[in-house]
Formats: sequence, C-alpha cells, structure tokens
Amino acid sequence: MASTQDKTVYKTTGWCGFASGSNTAAVDVKDGKIARIRPVHFDEEYAEDEINPWKIEVRGHTLTSGMTTTVSPMALAYKKRVYSPNRVPYPLKRVDWDPQGERNPQNRGISKYERISWDEATQICADEIRRVIDTYGNYSILCQGDGHGETKVIHASHGCNTRLMGLMGGFTLQARQPDSWEGWYWGAKHMWGMNPLGQQALQENTLWDISENADAVICVGCDPETTPWGWGGFMASKISYFWLEIGIKQIYICPDLNYGAAIHADKWITPLPNTDAALWLGIAYTWIEEGTYEKEYVATHTEGFDWFERYVMGGEDGIPKTPRWAESKCGVPAAEIKALARYWATRNVSTAHCNGGGYIRSCFSTEPARLEVALLAMQGVGAPGRTMFKFIEWGLFGMEGLNSLPKGEWGTFMWAAYSGHVQGTYLTSFIPQTLVPKAILMPEGEKLTWPGRVVCNMPLEDQYVDYEFPLPGAERIHMIWTDTPCWSTCWNGGNTMQEALRDESIEFYLVQHPWMENDTLFADIILPISTKFEQDDIGTSFQCGENDMVVDELPAIDPLGEAKTDAEAVLAIAEKLGMAEELMEEWCYSPDLKGAVAGKSGGQIAPDQVGHIMGEPSFETMKRVGYEFGGCSEHMPFEKFQEKGYLPIRFKDEADWKSDPVGMRAFYEDPENNPLETPTGKIEFYSLSIHEHWPNDPERPEVPHWIEESDEHKERLSSDRAKDYPFLLMSNHPRWRVHAQGDDITWFREIATCKVTGPDGYQYEPVWINPRDAERLGIEDGDIVRLYNERGSVLGGAMTTERIRENVLSQDHGARVDGIVLGTGGLDRGGANNLICPSATTSKNAPGEVTNGFLVGIEKVDVFELAEKYPDQFNRPFDKSEGALASTKIVQA
Amino acid sequence: MSRKVFVIDVDRCNGCHSCQIACKDEHCGTAWLPYAAEQPDTGQFWCKVQEEVHGSVPKVNITYTPIIGAQSDAVRDYAPELLMDRDDGLIVIDPKKAKGRKDLADEFEGIYWNEALEIPQGCTGCAHLIDDGWSVPRCVDACPVGGLRFGDESDFAEEIGKAERLDPESNVYYLNLPQRWVAGQVIDDAADEVVIGAKVSLEPLDGSFEALETATDEFGDFWFRNLKEADYRLTVSAAGYAPREQTASTKEADCNAGMVLLEKSA
Repeated sequence: MASTQDKTVYKTTGWCGFASGSNTAAVDVKDGKIARIRPVHFDEEYAEDEINPWKIEVRGHTLTSGMTTTVSPMALAYKKRVYSPNRVPYPLKRVDWDPQGERNPQNRGISKYERISWDEATQICADEIRRVIDTYGNYSILCQGDGHGETKVIHASHGCNTRLMGLMGGFTLQARQPDSWEGWYWGAKHMWGMNPLGQQALQENTLWDISENADAVICVGCDPETTPWGWGGFMASKISYFWLEIGIKQIYICPDLNYGAAIHADKWITPLPNTDAALWLGIAYTWIEEGTYEKEYVATHTEGFDWFERYVMGGEDGIPKTPRWAESKCGVPAAEIKALARYWATRNVSTAHCNGGGYIRSCFSTEPARLEVALLAMQGVGAPGRTMFKFIEWGLFGMEGLNSLPKGEWGTFMWAAYSGHVQGTYLTSFIPQTLVPKAILMPEGEKLTWPGRVVCNMPLEDQYVDYEFPLPGAERIHMIWTDTPCWSTCWNGGNTMQEALRDESIEFYLVQHPWMENDTLFADIILPISTKFEQDDIGTSFQCGENDMVVDELPAIDPLGEAKTDAEAVLAIAEKLGMAEELMEEWCYSPDLKGAVAGKSGGQIAPDQVGHIMGEPSFETMKRVGYEFGGCSEHMPFEKFQEKGYLPIRFKDEADWKSDPVGMRAFYEDPENNPLETPTGKIEFYSLSIHEHWPNDPERPEVPHWIEESDEHKERLSSDRAKDYPFLLMSNHPRWRVHAQGDDITWFREIATCKVTGPDGYQYEPVWINPRDAERLGIEDGDIVRLYNERGSVLGGAMTTERIRENVLSQDHGARVDGIVLGTGGLDRGGANNLICPSATTSKNAPGEVTNGFLVGIEKVDVFELAEKYPDQFNRPFDKSEGALASTKIVQA
Repeated sequence: MSRKVFVIDVDRCNGCHSCQIACKDEHCGTAWLPYAAEQPDTGQFWCKVQEEVHGSVPKVNITYTPIIGAQSDAVRDYAPELLMDRDDGLIVIDPKKAKGRKDLADEFEGIYWNEALEIPQGCTGCAHLIDDGWSVPRCVDACPVGGLRFGDESDFAEEIGKAERLDPESNVYYLNLPQRWVAGQVIDDAADEVVIGAKVSLEPLDGSFEALETATDEFGDFWFRNLKEADYRLTVSAAGYAPREQTASTKEADCNAGMVLLEKSA
C-alpha cells in the first residue's frame, strides 16, 4: 500500500503563551494536506540516553517523563481549526465603514463585510494610523496583544503590532493582567512575597517532596484534567494517578465536581463559589481553639499573628470565625470543616492549584489567596510534604524556581527571534486589560488611575506606584489594533466591551486573526492570518514536564486563502508606511540583541556597530538568530537541528536534580538567612506593604478578612440582588476549548458534555444545574435556559447533574459570541458568559478581573418564541455541527 | 500470527476523549483505501467514550469506558465475506465488498451506516497504519495516560485472565469495569461532629452473601466499592451512640446513603 504520510513536521501545540510553547506534536502531511496530528515518539530520532527521562520512584511505583510527548485533545483536533469554515478567507472591510465618510460605529457587530485586496486593506490601515497619530497623537492607538491564541515566535500573535508602533513613536498598550493569578498577585504577594505571581514561587522539586512526604493534597478550585490541557498536556493527569497509586489522599474543594475531582477525588468538599475565605477562617479558628498549629514556626517564621488571631477569634469585630459561622457563609457543614481542620493539623498536607477558576477570579479574591497562605504558614509550610504545588506552568518565564518537576540540563528561550510584545516593555502609556472598556467609555476629560503596571511578571514593589490614563496632555483612544480579538469572551464585563467597541470615539478597529469569531465581528478591517501549521517558525516546548525541546516548526501546508502570518501582515502595513526595512531590522537585530553582542565582545564593539552578523534581516535569518542567541548551537549545530526537526534538552541525572533546592525548605530551616520578599522577610499575617500604601482598605485590610460585599460588588447569596438572581455561576476554564479558542470544532461539539442541542437544532453551551434546583424551577434536562442579571443574558442548554451543588450553576466560559442584542442588557445565543460578568475589578485597590462566582438568575426559554421576537438574528444560518457560520457575515460578490 | 487485541483499563481512563478525537483525525475527511473510506465528519464513533456519572452530591464520581464496537468476531461470524483477508484478527470491513450492506450497521452497535457512500463503517484497528509499520492504532497512540493498550493476544495473557468483555466475541478486553458502590457520612448532629471509626456494615437483604464491614474515615465517610447489584441493610454503630439502620439499594444505581445521623445512647 501507499505510505500513510509524505512528510512529518513538528509543531508545538500550546495555545497560550508568549514565545514559550509546549506539547510538541508530530504533524504528518499527505497530498499537501494535514493527515494527522499525533504525539512525538522520541525514539524515532533519539536514543533514550539523549532524553534521559526523569523518574520519581516511591513505594514501588514510578512516575516518569517518558519517551513520548502528550498532546491535548484540541491539538489532536486542530486540523478542524486549520480547515475551519470560519477562517477569514481574504481581507475584509465592513460595508458601512467609510474612512473618507460615515464610519457607522453603532453598526459594529451587526453589519456585514466585503472583500478587498491586501493592497487596499494595508493602504487603509497605514493611512488610518498616520491620520490618528497626526490628529490625536500616538497614544490614541490602543494595541491589544493578549495571551490567548497560538504560541508562535517569529510570526507571533500577542502584540506583533507593538514593535512597529514603537518605531512609529509609541502607542497605548493593553497591559496584560496577571489574569491566571489575580488573587495571589494582588493578595498573597503582600503576605509572602513570591514574585512575580504570588503563588509559591519556590516550586523546585515540590513534586518529589509531595510524592515522598505528603499524606494528602488539597486541590482548591483546581482541575488538573482540564486547565493544564491547553499549555501543559497530561503530566498533571499522570501525577494525579501516581499519587493515587502511592496512597496520597486527594481532597477536592470545589462547588462543581470538576473533571479532576470526578476521577481523582478521595473526598469532595462543596463550598459555594467564592466563599473559600470563610472555609479557611473556620479552619484557622479550629486550630487556634484547639492549639493544633505549629506555634514555634509561627513565632520564628511569621509576623503579626496576634492581629490575625484577634480577628479570627472575634476580638476585632465581635464575630468569632467558628466553623458554624463559616458554614453560614460557605455552605460546608461545620462538622466537615472541623474534620478537615483536624485531618490537616495531624498530617503532612499540601495544597495544589491549576490557576484561574473562581478561587482567584472572583471579587475580593485577594482574601482567599492570603488566607490559604495563612493556613499553610500555621502548619509550617516548607516542612517535608507541606507546600503549595502547581500543576501547571512549570518553568514559566524561564524561571527555574517555578518548575516543580525535575529539570533539564539547560534552558533556552527564543527571545531574540520573537516578533510579539515582550512583557514589561512599552509601558509608557497603558491601560490594564480589565479597565479597557471603562477607559474608552469614560467622559472626555476624565482620567483613570490604578496601582501598578499590572503586568504579570512585575515584582511586588510595582504595585506601590499609581498610574493613569490618559497621560497628561494625551487624548483618549480613537483606534484599536488587535491580534487577539477575544476581550468580550475572556475578561470582565463583555457587554460593556461591546459598547466600547461600538462607541463613536473608536474611529478605526483593526483586527488581524485567522478566524471570524467573537470581537472580530466588530472590526472595520479584518486581515486574514494563517495558523501556525501554515508558517515557518521556531519554537520551544517547556512547561509540560515531559519534553523540553527546541523545535524547527516547518510549515505543514501552504497558507490557506489569502492568509499571511501575523508578522507578514504587520510588515505589509509597515511597507505602506515606509517602515518595512526598519521593522525587519528591529525584529531581527533588536536593540537588546545588539546590546548582548556588544556585551559579549567585552567593549570591543558598541551596540550600534553590531552588523548583520547572522545574515541580512529576514524571517529566515530570525530563525538562526533565535537559535544562536538562545544558546542552542552550543548543543547542536543549526544544520543538524534542521535535519532532526527538534533538539531535546536532556534531563538532569537523578543525583543532580535531587540536589536542586526543595520548595521552601531553606526558609523552613533557616528563615533569617533565607528571607522571603516581604518587608520583614517573614510571612506577614499583618501586611506591612498594605499598611504602608493602602491603610485601612475595607476590601483588602492589613489582615486577611472575609469580605461580604462592597459598593461595587454585591455577589453573595446574602446580597439583596440575590432575590432577583439567586444562583452563583461557576464559569470555569472550558473542558472543550482553550478559553475562547476552538468552539467550532465539530468533533468536540458532538461530545455530550460539550453542547446541548436545542429543539431548533442549534447547539447551546451547557448549564449544569442540580436536579433538585431544576425540579424546583421546572427545568428539565435538555431545556434551553436563559442566565441573566442586570448586565444581560446568555442562553444555554440545561444539564441536570449531580456534578454541581445546589444554589450554584456552572457554564464554561469562552463560548463563541452569537449576539442577539448587543451591549449592556444584551442577549447572547452562544452562551459567552463573560458578557455578563461584573465590570468592576477585584477591589478598589486591586485591578484584577472578576469573571467567576457571580450572581445570575435562570429561567427556561422557548427558543421559537425568541426566534419570533428576534427573527433576523435567530434566522441567521448556522451549521448544526459547527454552530454560527462566519460566511453569513460576508457579502458575496 | 497471534490475534491483535485491545486491553482497556477503565480505572486509568481520565475521559479526555483523545482516543475518540484521534480516530476522527485519522478517518474523517480522509480515505485510507482499500482499508477504509472516509468517515463523515460527525455522527460516527468508531471509538466512543461512554461517560457515566454515579451517585449524588457530595458522593459522586465518573467512569469513562472507551467502546471500540466493530472489533468483534461476531462481525466475522455474521458476514465473513465482507471482511478483508487478514491473519492478525483485525476486523476490517472492506468498503468495496460491503457496499449496500446496511444490515451490518443495523446488526452491530459499533458499525455505522454511511448514507452518502452506502457502506457500513467501523473501527479497522487502523490496519492501514499497522501495515505501514505502526505498532498501535491512533486511539492507543493518543492515550496520554496508558489506559488503552494494543498488541498480540499472547503478550496480554495476564491481563486477559482478569479482564471482561462487553461482547463475548469482542477483541476488546476491559480491566476494572465500573461496579456499584454505597457511600455515606456519619455525623453526630447534636455535637456538630463527624464520627470517626464508626463500624458500618452492609448486608444483603436476601442473605445471599456475607455482610461487608468497614469503618468511617477521618471525615466520617464510608465507602463500599465493587458491590453486587442488590438491596442491602446498612447498619452504623459506634461506642456511646445508639446504632442506626437503614436500607441501601444498588439495584438501579450507585447509592449515596447520605448523612447517617447518630444520637448519643442514653
């Protein structure tokens, strides 16, 4: 028979990262089409000793990094994304947007698109950039380059427009929040430092430590069978199975039986969403009352415990935070809270996280994050088997301290070849991601202020400085240029963002993206972008614990339609601006790179004397530059790398990785000589940084508190609003998407937990409801329901299930927007529940997102009645397997 | 040549559906003739992950069972003339020979009728890949946690000895197929405490087998796993408390017996 493939190329398949990929897949190509996407078997290219898989052996069981990669279901199905009917086929212009005349901003999200040429499109873009700069100044152009999208390097998404706009004299940056770590970043950092994220940053060898020494791991709002998939593959799953084999108890605390809890939990504890702070306080009370915390450790390793004790025992507000009190807030029976407290106090217990989720993405999320640190401290965190573990992002930002697993012999990062936005740069004029709609919609002349540059890799001290928008003398935003058009489906208060995108102050909205979905449908110009499978790139795979490597990401197929890469699209605009040569020079030989070369020369040459040492500036040269300045050629010549397809980074020998630091052990053993990054160097139950900079903040006091509600957030079942909206909504990382990516993959949509087919044949996003709640409300399994609050409504398909406790609903976030009524009070058919999240941030002094654990009502709807009420919107053609169809938005010539 | 078999450990299935998706990646939109015509984009599941939610809040778990329906000698028995000639035991329905044979799809759950091509279709064991040098089919290659295995029957003798089959002629063997359970939590309501170490016994009402015993754990929880489908008497006793008795049935489903409230004995 004929061979089952003509060629194989390698692609990293992490869908969320800035130049740092993961989960390398082998892509077999046949007859010019992608035949299959599969895990890489290292033995096809390398001997086992060249990989040197790590092994952790405990009680007769072995966990190993193995000789294959694992790739996520979305990677396996990615052919469907590449060949999706929703790809942008060619450059498009909104039919009623005329840069020379009426711009009709109010029709964004409604009107259709017509085909134009690349030449015309890039000329319009260049003319608009010049016009906006000349009329309003550079800072009136907002560049969005967020973390959600394909992970690429030379042809990066995530702010590929920023270098050009930098060369043009500047722009306003949508600053990337610590959106996976909000509660820790704005809260826990003030208690134990742990820059930059606020989670335990001393992660090294914690997997080994827990496996050897822990009795139990508490998974708090943590789903190792969903969240890591998009950028970490299945090592988290393998770890969970291993812990089961070696008898480590896995306790899950979550209102929903998430996919990890469903198969790994020895014990499921079910608090109401965003009430973990009360649960933690009930545990602290039990330990203090029973004297079962590590008093010696608290005396030597922490500061301000007496303030905390006073609050917990009721000395401050007259309310002892007893388990009974905690039960009234979090819904976990007092008996169970005491049982958990006593279990924890008498054994080696660690906590574990997968980021995101309601735990640190609700209002006041600083408090549960800080209170968890308080509990860890009360039980001597750093002692064997007592640590905070991360199931995800091992080695984030190239930081060794963030890698919980055995490490490679060396590391690399393709920074020198990266065309996207480098975190921490261009922070002259910026707006936190969470405040963008507010910045656009606020009255002319008003200013926004907030603490810190909000970027996820900043140290604690960064929060002490206040920033503002617009800068003195600068104008408001008049143009938005994005390569990640998913604000309304990923952040806080999407309906408000829809209003912002339709505001008359926005004269030009430019989107470059592979697919016509979500915010793309609000654009004035849409540029068609290729997927990474069509691009020639170089990538690294880290963060997944099983396959650190550098990958020659050759194109699997030719670009589809008229697609260009993100970088090619920006370059095409740069050509019209007369900036192409400068831009390519900047990408290929950046000032940082020239500085590095000059530095290496020991003063022999100055940065401006560094010539084109790796060849004339081009995308091809960038690949060599990335490889060379990533330090890779020391390990394998570039030509050999091209021949092999990828360069694996050999794992350290066992003796070497076992001699690396272990978590917080050094602090545990000698806090004076191994201080934390807090003002006192200790764990601060009373935060000096908060006291100095935000004294008496009622929402984030010096000592971590239970916060019931505030002027901006009334999102409790005890709130008055709960009379109208009596359920708390969980909106987790989606099982069958990565955030808003991949919603049109038919092979997922036919899985029972992915979509619910309505009587109209439309596939709705599931809403989990407990059978007792459903019965009370007359809702049956399969009914189409409306989730609503004063911010708007989204539809969904009811799934009655014991996977959710009473008084709580769950609908994954990130479903594709299919707008029926746009803006505040609007209605969305797709079920994109970020549209109805609160717009307000974590708390007054913590500008984090609030996208989970908020109040909604639910009612059964008749989709045929809705179709009569909104005939145009409901009669838009859709595909019964794919859902909403982009082609209906294009005017056919 | 030894017969090829699948061995699936249900305890080691995390429900990721990678097997189901990899199968679609291989066969939807791509024909691998002469082994297989292309599979329609949706609606057919040559490998299908079946999900079952067991219990009620807060005693709930999920089991996933990947089903590979067509790999059964029952298909060979039914219509040997429609299969490709192979000496490795894989069932491969020849798309040419089977044209028009809707009866095959009607007869077997894992075989689907392709309306457009007028052929019955199902799992081929990725015979086209096996013949091209692959050691396992796509579903097995994609399983990230070692739940699915594939190979010669002779190499799996030990597993097969412990395994069950959903269809007695199937070449797909299962380890740890889900069994019923009874669970609950024992509480001293007056004291607001869980009761640790309470003795819990579970006795079939018809006395057909011996009573099972366990003790509550640190959370006052008890679990009886791997149970037969039966009606049971559940008895809870602890020193200083009046014993409690209630019934629990696993005949229809797994049983969360709920909170068993104990009162101090007089």
